[in-house]
Amino acid sequence: MIHFWKWTIAVFLVLLLAVFLVLCKMAGSPKDVYGMVRYALPHMHRGNLKVGDDAPDARLVALDGSGHFHIRERTGARPLVIIFGSYT
Amino acid sequence: MVQIYNDYKEHADFLTVYVREAHPTDEWQMKSNVKDDVCYAQPKTLAQRVAIANDFIKRFNYPIAFGIDDISNAANDAYSAWPERFYIIDESGHIAYRGGMGPFHYNPDEVRAWLAARYGSVKHDSPSSATPVASLGSPN
Repeated sequence: MIHFWKWTIAVFLVLLLAVFLVLCKMAGSPKDVYGMVRYALPHMHRGNLKVGDDAPDARLVALDGSGHFHIRERTGARPLVIIFGSYT
Repeated sequence: MVQIYNDYKEHADFLTVYVREAHPTDEWQMKSNVKDDVCYAQPKTLAQRVAIANDFIKRFNYPIAFGIDDISNAANDAYSAWPERFYIIDESGHIAYRGGMGPFHYNPDEVRAWLAARYGSVKHDSPSSATPVASLGSPN
């Protein structure tokens, strides 16, 4: 029985190490792995929207900080390409 | 993305939506952000978010229409947009294209292909002469 648990723990640790190395490769460094797990993954959502769904509306703030407009105000006449992103 | 905008702005409308920062100084900051002097803490207020958006516009003379997600992140939540993602909404208000989640599946070429299928392709002699732009505009 002890032999079984030794192997189980060993396999688990090897898998854990493999996952860590893959994440390091993806993110760039161990520090980046922490950043990705701590800050990025909680905010990354696949979502349920599909091609053909009604486009959701949302109110956006204009660059002057006081004006507002809705995404759907910009749709209708022509296709609307939306680019979501941030500065950093 | 600016190149695609320039190629197809006579046929389609473009809107950039600025959402919560991906790599702020107080979260997961990237070395490239330090190198490029793009160092901002995660905005806690709308005013801070507006200020960063304006910095971006000024620095890169960004030509595409711009809207800022409210600090409640309503647009981000509705579109599962973070950290970066493309959508195309057709004339009937339906989603015609939904891009993959950035950065790994953020693919401006798919947007170009969608537009090219409708309006014809635009060829360039050189790959792109547009100015490189940080995250929001990286897909030149």
